[in-house]
Amino acid sequence: MRFEPRAPDAEINVSKTHPLVEASTLLLGLIGLLALVTVLIVFAIEILIRFIPEEKEVKWFSGWTPVERLQSDHPQAEAVADLLARMVAQWPDTEYQFRLEISDDPAPNAMALPGGLIIVTSGLLDQIDTENALAFVLSHELGHFHNRDHIRQLGRFAAIGLFYSAVSASNGNTALGYNVTDLTLRGFSRAQERDADKFGLELVEREYGHIGEALQFFERLSDEREPGIRWDNYLGTHPDPQDRIAELTHLAEQNGWRLSGEVFDWPPTARIE
Amino acid sequence: MDAITFIFNFGIPLAVLMVAYFVGTLLERRHFASIRSREASIRGFPVMTFDRMPEEWQVGRSELFAGSVVVSLDYFKRIIAGIRGIFGGRIKTYEPLLDRARREAMLRLIEQARAAGFDAVINVRLETSRIANANGGEGTAGIEMLAFGTAVKLESRL
Amino acid sequence: MDLRTPQSIIISNTETIPGKEIVEFYGVVTGNTVRAKHVGRDIMAGLKNIVGGELAGYTELLADSRQEATDRMVQQALSMGANAVVNVRFATSSITQGASELFAYGTAVRVR
Repeated sequence: MRFEPRAPDAEINVSKTHPLVEASTLLLGLIGLLALVTVLIVFAIEILIRFIPEEKEVKWFSGWTPVERLQSDHPQAEAVADLLARMVAQWPDTEYQFRLEISDDPAPNAMALPGGLIIVTSGLLDQIDTENALAFVLSHELGHFHNRDHIRQLGRFAAIGLFYSAVSASNGNTALGYNVTDLTLRGFSRAQERDADKFGLELVEREYGHIGEALQFFERLSDEREPGIRWDNYLGTHPDPQDRIAELTHLAEQNGWRLSGEVFDWPPTARIE
Repeated sequence: MDAITFIFNFGIPLAVLMVAYFVGTLLERRHFASIRSREASIRGFPVMTFDRMPEEWQVGRSELFAGSVVVSLDYFKRIIAGIRGIFGGRIKTYEPLLDRARREAMLRLIEQARAAGFDAVINVRLETSRIANANGGEGTAGIEMLAFGTAVKLESRL
Repeated sequence: MDLRTPQSIIISNTETIPGKEIVEFYGVVTGNTVRAKHVGRDIMAGLKNIVGGELAGYTELLADSRQEATDRMVQQALSMGANAVVNVRFATSSITQGASELFAYGTAVRVR
């Protein structure tokens, strides 16, 4: 046996692929996978919604109140509840039993929560000065229930969060999923908001015979931002006021609804029934 | 999302990633160049993984030598490996790192043996082990490559 | 599992090829790969961890990696002009969570 010095081809153990090429292929693949999974989950939830009737939703979420500082003794509480009942009466075939709560919060906001819970902040009640405008705000929230928007959001959030945590846990890379879930599911989508607007406007038209002053709230929002009032809670989760006004005016014209009529004050002075 | 949030959530990690990539590639290229030149200079030195030697060899003395090196994975490679963990397949960015770590360990073994006056290394073994992070042992702090073998000094010239 | 080798190069984990004589030896050759598993295999393994038994997905993964590492080692030997690799050894180690490196090494020789 003789020693014969020879050199091996040392490049065999190193792949020729440039690392940036591999990196971009992987990143594109990852983005594609995430997009695909999100789309699949959205479709799956749409199908599942049919199997959750309104009574079940009310039963599951009755008593769930995720907001603090509820003011059950707010002076306008009863009046708002009455107004809500009148608007609900314009939606006769609903199975929901709605609950109204007023939250002690100077920032104006209105929320629709699963199970039929509607929360209005005292700040909003302070800023509204016609009954028609408040009726529209309440009916808009009713619109979210009509379209089952929360169940959809809850389902999507849970499913997507589950998928991302499963993937992250399996390869220890937790940074991936968290931010993306945040961004994609903030509040309701613009389309959902538009549909809730349409439904709300219909209810107002049925109750009052016209839509005058219903959009007054939004015009105020876009004109005057009073200092000290924090509108960002409301504006952060709802579309731009000008866009909403434009869309809804267009809808009213399409349906031939009257744009003005009798307007009632808020807070209500004594009304003659 | 405003500018500050963007910078902190994406900008800084991205900048670190780019530094990791560019500086890492530069260091890697330099290391490979050094390895190649050193391998060329030890070309005539016999190395084998078994212990059966040519009959002509008369062994005087022998001694165990080891060459080792610990390398760390840079940030860029870690991210790539993380995404690979979803799709599977060869992690091509790790291969240059492990290749040069092993060649470096072998070179150190041979250079040590040669500098001590030995003529060949027999029964070479190669081992790899992972050094875990401090907290909980999850995550890799570094990888150690070990090459060890018996260096022999021959009575007669080769 | 047989390690198929191209171009009639012989590999063995003994010091000599049984029945043949080593005429020249060239040096150490190595081959390695680093592979990661994917989510599918992970999920199956997770389920298997409940009932026990062979993790077929991982077996296959490591077997493929070993084949690839051996192929690379053989390629290095061929580039040296060898026709056999003796004293072949394998080593497996985990690099990061979810990825492991497999390498094979031996001495490239010419046998007759």
